Amino acid sequence: MNSKRLLIVGLVVFGLIGAAAIAAPIQIGICKIVEHPALDAVERGVIDALAAAGFVSDRDVVFLLASAQGDPNNAVPIAQSFRSQGVGMVVAISTPMALAAAEVFRDTQLPIVFSAVTDPVAAGLVESAVDPSRNGNVTGVSDLIDVAGDLALLKELSPAVRRIGIVYNPGEANSDQLTRLALEAAPGLGLTVVTAIADTTANVPMAAQSLIGRVDAFYVTTDNTVVSAIDAVIAAAEASGVPFLMADPTSLEFGPVLATGFDYYRHGLITGALIVEILSGLRPDALPVIYQSGAEIHVNLDAAGKIGLTVPSSILGRAAGLFVGGRAWSPAEGN
Amino acid sequence: MAAILLHAAEQGLVYGIAALGVFITYRILAFPDLTVDGSFVTGAAVASSLLVYSRFDPVSVMAIAFAAGALAGLITGVLNTRLGIKDLLAGVLTMIMLYSINLRIMGRPNISLLRVETLTRAVGRSVPWLGDASVLVFLAIVVIAVKLLLDLFFRTEIGLALRATGDNEAMIVAHGVNPKTMKMVGLAVSNGLVALSGGLVAHYSGFADVGMGLGTIVTGLAAVIIGGSLIRSRRIGWMTASVLIGSLIYRTAVMLALRYGYIVGFQASDLKLVTSLLVVVALVVPAIRGRLMRRVDACSS
Repeated sequence: MNSKRLLIVGLVVFGLIGAAAIAAPIQIGICKIVEHPALDAVERGVIDALAAAGFVSDRDVVFLLASAQGDPNNAVPIAQSFRSQGVGMVVAISTPMALAAAEVFRDTQLPIVFSAVTDPVAAGLVESAVDPSRNGNVTGVSDLIDVAGDLALLKELSPAVRRIGIVYNPGEANSDQLTRLALEAAPGLGLTVVTAIADTTANVPMAAQSLIGRVDAFYVTTDNTVVSAIDAVIAAAEASGVPFLMADPTSLEFGPVLATGFDYYRHGLITGALIVEILSGLRPDALPVIYQSGAEIHVNLDAAGKIGLTVPSSILGRAAGLFVGGRAWSPAEGN
Repeated sequence: MAAILLHAAEQGLVYGIAALGVFITYRILAFPDLTVDGSFVTGAAVASSLLVYSRFDPVSVMAIAFAAGALAGLITGVLNTRLGIKDLLAGVLTMIMLYSINLRIMGRPNISLLRVETLTRAVGRSVPWLGDASVLVFLAIVVIAVKLLLDLFFRTEIGLALRATGDNEAMIVAHGVNPKTMKMVGLAVSNGLVALSGGLVAHYSGFADVGMGLGTIVTGLAAVIIGGSLIRSRRIGWMTASVLIGSLIYRTAVMLALRYGYIVGFQASDLKLVTSLLVVVALVVPAIRGRLMRRVDACSS
């Protein structure tokens, strides 16, 4: 009898402690559209940023990770599953995931933090890029790259550049928007843009080859389809003997002459910092959308040598990273 | 759990309409039609862009989405029956054409419906007393209506001729029916339904994406085959019902994989594996039970 009562008391106490332990941490649902080096880096950045800010995983925060595995039809079920698990916040990496999360949580005050979304205003995620008070429970970080700056950089690299070839997938929201920006910016710089379309990774080689002889430089934005088959574009640029600029610094070693942009791990860290501000009590409608700045220039001198191109000192002087003699160098580190 | 099953049921119904479309071509016409991967998006594109850009009302955009899908089906029909292109290739060609056409309709790869009155949102607002179940009840009414209309259609002269076309083409020629016309009708109705499903999915999800059609044929076939293995009947009413049940099972599997997969140690990257395994379980369990029952019967007799 006594031991049975003890057991019951013990179970109750244990249950209370358990309940307290379960109730304490805030659950954060992190979802992405597909497994992809850049998006995986954002995810890691978010988690690392929270750890660095003192949020211990499984004690203060619990991360629920999900991937739509490339199918936009999984976006809504993932958001609904987060909702039924009672998450305190959703971090949505990429445009479709953010739209689905905003739809599923639209009748709530739950903070939605998007990341790796190129144009959140055009995508309809937020009303205003500068005034957060009208954006409800949605805020986040945009990965809009400086397209006009990239085009100007190609012109600076080789003043002979007049026609710029862009290989892109018009089915990717981010890439479509960036190509539009390039088409808008080109006339002002005295350039023309020639586009070649690749709707799948398999069609990238053909699209890139179609530009050979028709362009003075190749340019690829943050297009997931094209970046996945980047070797084909590099081969086409080498075959035409023209420079190639890629808006993804992590791909420098694969052979573009220039690589600009920021790395996505840092993008994740910035997203994480935004999340920390929300966790410390700020509402999303007080936090404007962040546009990541500080694009870096990386130069691959091996690739420039292959097409007999001398990189001007004005560009080398600003380079944050060099690739020469088969290895990467960072001028900032002084080696 | 209740909320998860509610959402799974909503999705099973809304994607069930596309499965009914796949059922018409695959089961009735014996025509492997890959147009659906494109026409699903066409429906979503029409139902979204007309709502956002042209300010149409949410009901008529669904009717236009159906018509646009039917038109896509007719293109495949013309390629196949008039130009003599093989069925599989005709569907693939239309599907590829539709990718560009869908981008033209949408004007961009992704349209947000967060700031407009979608059909599902309008429903939720008009019957507030149903609460969270309003969308489910609405979709159930729509899907059952579509199913009953389809059953009625298959009992009409054209519908019966359509069924006969898939079973025995020579026989219906002998009866003076042109099988080419029947294929056109079947492809039009099928892709119309798939596009209607795409339009409803866009409104339900709050966005249309040019990539959302990928795999419509696969999930549609999954629903048709799961349903067909659970309910073996040659009666058209049971066959269409089995497709919807198959769709409900498939979407429940996706939902359960997402919601509870982590308990058994699955990671985010295992989603498609878990979904497929759950479908395998759904297919195998009734078969095993049937075999056990038979063995029990054999022992007792």
